[in-house]
Amino acid sequence: MKGIKSHAILLFSVLAGIFALSIYGLLSGDIPTEFNDVYHALLDYSDQDINQVIIREIRLPRIMMAIISGAALSVAGMLMQTLFQNPLAGPYVLGINSGSSLMVALGVLSGVGFFNSELGLMGSALLGAFVFGLFILFTASFLRNQIGLLLFGVMLGSFVSAIITILEAGSQAEALKSFALWSMGSLNNVTIEQIPIILAVFIVTCFLTFFIVKPLNILILGEEECRLMGYDIKKIRILIVFITALFTGLITAFCGPIAFVGLAVPNLTRMLFKTQNHMLLLIANLLFGSFFLLTCDITIQLFSDVLLIPINALTSLIGAPFVIYILIRKLR
Amino acid sequence: MITVKDIVIGFDNDLFAIDKVDFQKGKVHVLTGRNGIGKSAFLRTLTGLLKPIKGEIILDNKPLDEYSNKEVSNKISFVHSIQNGVSFLSVDAYLMLGRSNFTNMFGNASDIDLRAIENAKSVFGIGHLSHKYTNQLSSGELQLCAIAKAYVQETDYILLDEPTAHLDYQNKKRVYELLKQISIDQNKGIIISTHDLDLAFKFPFEFYLIKESDLKLHKIDGFNDIEREFNT
Repeated sequence: MKGIKSHAILLFSVLAGIFALSIYGLLSGDIPTEFNDVYHALLDYSDQDINQVIIREIRLPRIMMAIISGAALSVAGMLMQTLFQNPLAGPYVLGINSGSSLMVALGVLSGVGFFNSELGLMGSALLGAFVFGLFILFTASFLRNQIGLLLFGVMLGSFVSAIITILEAGSQAEALKSFALWSMGSLNNVTIEQIPIILAVFIVTCFLTFFIVKPLNILILGEEECRLMGYDIKKIRILIVFITALFTGLITAFCGPIAFVGLAVPNLTRMLFKTQNHMLLLIANLLFGSFFLLTCDITIQLFSDVLLIPINALTSLIGAPFVIYILIRKLR
Repeated sequence: MITVKDIVIGFDNDLFAIDKVDFQKGKVHVLTGRNGIGKSAFLRTLTGLLKPIKGEIILDNKPLDEYSNKEVSNKISFVHSIQNGVSFLSVDAYLMLGRSNFTNMFGNASDIDLRAIENAKSVFGIGHLSHKYTNQLSSGELQLCAIAKAYVQETDYILLDEPTAHLDYQNKKRVYELLKQISIDQNKGIIISTHDLDLAFKFPFEFYLIKESDLKLHKIDGFNDIEREFNT
């Protein structure tokens, strides 16, 4: 019982932290604004007031994307780690992002109308993530070694980036620039009009995840145990890959690749909560993921006068050493 | 009753065959035979994890393949010969996974589930391990926990692949005694594979030997049959 209480306190503190950081993020920026502006921008909006416009059109979508991306990528990472029973798995290292990147590159660099549209971009990023997810699932069925699977993911990433380089070499300057910016990862490119659709896909995917909490709990004992408990393991596996692809594809389409969040946060939550209960892990990943990416975003904003750090670079700076730490602990 | 008829067990190649055997409830059935002859494959075939190359398995008057996975999991539990401990998975949480057919769709435990687990822990003498993580247990402790997890699943049949392999002598005896008691008191059909025959023969179990000479499963009565098999 003591455990449950301390878990609740921890979760509520993070929730409060997310709330505080969001308010701070809405308030701060190049142009000084006051709490009053934030209040009006959110609840009583007038597009005549420049401060309100800045908050609602620029800061709000960015903050919301930080919250959604962090949560989505962390849960996607948790799902991959449980599916492959591998703490080093994640949508980025396994190359699921690469699937989205490839499709987005094809869309943006080829300049074909449909793929360049918002829905086309999202749809193709989701499809790319799902196809690559199935590909990794298939490979995992005969590549049992944990490190081997990661190497496979890295190779998949290299292969895709080679294709993308070829595409880049043959494309127009305009398209090249917009793709290069996308591939750095950014929370700034989303408009307030896009938020509802992104939020809707995110919430539906979260609901889906809540319904597979029970098989996920058994899956940590292995696929045979899951089957022996009466689950159709093939369906469960494909559902997990599908959910991961939804989360990853959604974020990759709108924010570009964001590395290591999906790897680091699930490990962090497992260490903090010392549990394999996926209901708790799911909630923890949603909250800690949001908190983590929000912190990254605000750090970037703080340094924006001096240096513009792409979000993908910052998460890699933090995430890569963390992965090395886990590697050393595991392989020692 | 699990009835096995004209069956051939194996993966890609045939391992061995069975003309007809009935595994009744209320008894402990012991399978033995040399390493690699197909005992584990046979047990896995009975759970539906592995399809027989030929032949039929009848579980309580209905062919096994007409049951859904869920229905089978309500009737048969299986304990692997090798268990892997998982970090941050406590023994209590591990045992609760055995209650999956009783807990709600999010896996939340009811009072009945909690009581079932407390009971199992006292039956198998693993109460002191409650809050340990499964990757911190010795292989013997883990084996006891795995058997307890199958026990809380409350199935009519419990299949155990070498349940005593990692146990010390005292725990081997204890597990055999418990299996005997459970089979009689709760009218369960228990099928195990084992190499601990000296000890097993002290119990009133049913014995079966997969003979090397004809690659068939035979019911045996005494230790002499075993001696003959392994000395030639």
